[in-house]
Amino acid sequence: MEVLHYLLEGFGTALAPENLMYALIGCFLGTLIGALPGLGPANGVAIMIPLAFTLGLRPETALIMLTSVYAGAMYGGRISSILLNIPGDEPAMMTCLDGYPMARKGKAAEALALSALASFIGSLVATVGLILLAPILARFALSFGPAEYFALFILAFATLGGVTGKNPVKSALAAAIGLAIATIGIDLSTGTQRYTFDVLELFEGVDFIVAIVGLFAISELLLFIEDHHGSAPRAGVIVNRLALSFRSVLQILPTSIRGGLLGFIAGVLPGAGASLGSFVSYTLEKKLVGAKGCFGEGDPRGVAAPEAGNNGAASGALVPMLTLGIPGSGTTAVLLAMLVSFNITPGPMMFTQHADIVWGVIAALLVGNILLLLLNIPLVGIFVKLLSVPPRYLMPVVTMVAFVGVYSISHSAFDLFFMVAFGVLGYIFRKADIPLVPVILGMLLGPEMEKNLRHVLQIHDGDWTMLWDSGLSLGLWGVALAGLVLPVLLGARLRRRMRPSLQD
Amino acid sequence: MKATDRVLGILLLVLAVAYGWGATQFPVPFAGPESVGPSTFPKALAVIMGLCSLYLVVKPDESQPWGGLRVLGELGLALTILAAYILLLEPFGFIPATTLAVGALCWRMGVRPLKACMTGLLSGTSVFLLFTFGLELALPTGILELH
Repeated sequence: MEVLHYLLEGFGTALAPENLMYALIGCFLGTLIGALPGLGPANGVAIMIPLAFTLGLRPETALIMLTSVYAGAMYGGRISSILLNIPGDEPAMMTCLDGYPMARKGKAAEALALSALASFIGSLVATVGLILLAPILARFALSFGPAEYFALFILAFATLGGVTGKNPVKSALAAAIGLAIATIGIDLSTGTQRYTFDVLELFEGVDFIVAIVGLFAISELLLFIEDHHGSAPRAGVIVNRLALSFRSVLQILPTSIRGGLLGFIAGVLPGAGASLGSFVSYTLEKKLVGAKGCFGEGDPRGVAAPEAGNNGAASGALVPMLTLGIPGSGTTAVLLAMLVSFNITPGPMMFTQHADIVWGVIAALLVGNILLLLLNIPLVGIFVKLLSVPPRYLMPVVTMVAFVGVYSISHSAFDLFFMVAFGVLGYIFRKADIPLVPVILGMLLGPEMEKNLRHVLQIHDGDWTMLWDSGLSLGLWGVALAGLVLPVLLGARLRRRMRPSLQD
Repeated sequence: MKATDRVLGILLLVLAVAYGWGATQFPVPFAGPESVGPSTFPKALAVIMGLCSLYLVVKPDESQPWGGLRVLGELGLALTILAAYILLLEPFGFIPATTLAVGALCWRMGVRPLKACMTGLLSGTSVFLLFTFGLELALPTGILELH
């Protein structure tokens, strides 16, 4: 009942007029970010952070807005999947399989409406899961000592690549680079200057917001210039008038609930993520009702399952982020950056120290989903129009917004040059298939990780074996090891299975 | 294209060694030398970075092909535009600098010059108005400043 009490208080926060307004803005922008191919959710949220900062929003308001952007991006991804057969973001690729055929049959409006509904249900199921699971996990994590935390951070890095990740060595390299960047600046416990080269701007360390915006937004611009993707994707289908029958809504209801549950589990598990959530729920649905349906040719359930799955996973991914402070995906990593820059240490203590923020965000997730459903069904026409803006106009403007955001935090040209430098780095890394998310996670978790490591070593007088001394930490190390080894064994097979089903 | 990984591996290996060497040069903390200090974590990271970059040199992956000289030129030009934008932002003011920068980027991505300039001018003006009047945040006015 304690949970219910907190949740009601959370609703009080989320429904305050100012917060509600920012949630609405966030939902709208999020859907837009998700819908536009090439502007992924992590990228979109990254650009929003400096803006939220300069608006002088209170932490809960800023987080509510960004959570709405995050939830909205998951809704938006499906629009271009259905209408253009191009996924707006990675998890939305399974939606292409039945969404696009359905649209070509002249049922685009139904596909959009049903997928919005499935997204809503999936997210709802997963948010209930989040409410039930998160406090338990947070209480459990309170018993973690520094050694367990250190192992937990290792686990976060090891599983970040996910079961479908390619080369774990490159992920590890990326993580090490991120952690190394985090050591720049004045050491907090001794005051020693590290790698500052007497440059005043480096004394406080590298601002990770500048780095994140550079790594994502600027590198995206550079990739666009290289690929000449300047023209707008042609919409192959026309959106018809909506004629939704009660029967088809009823038909996708069980599918959506199943998809939401599976997605939630995939989201909570370290390293699985939204892409796997939508893949698993689509495959299961196909197995379960495949004989009676027409999967791959525009079955409504084939649209509902992956959408419920990826929205479920999006809410599920917030569980480890809020309770343990380890994000499971790129976008939650960027959300974590927001928390850290508001001086809130993520982790189990957040549930006791910042209960208002945590529960405000959870309530905002519920409110945001209702807003998104309301936004998405009548306003889908606007999003479709905006989809036809060619990237050659859009990308420069988005880059400019990124510049304005970073400039308005510090008014310093140094930060802007740093951002561009990180953009070049991000471009080179993406060309070499080195993932960017571990770099960001390294910069975020670095200080905490080092603090815990030094605690352990100081307590035990420099004995490194103490890092895996307790049963709990040993277990965490085991999972981390599995997270590194499994992708090598299973990854290629899983990737193969996800690929051909897309090319059909 | 295995060369990408090899070259990157060598560069990062050099970086790792420099980073690790840098960690040994930290001044001894006030309380005297300890077994665990500011250099412990960086040294461990340098080892991990070094090993991973060695692996890249020894067992490189096939990576994406790089664009030719033309692409390199375009990228260089884009970066020059961004650098010019940063330098001109304060002296020129937000709207003129944005018109030039966004216009130039649009133009390089294939928009006709006049339309590109209009995109820059429109987006710059609307963001400026939004920031100044909607959000009450000051952006540099530069040469457009009213005396």
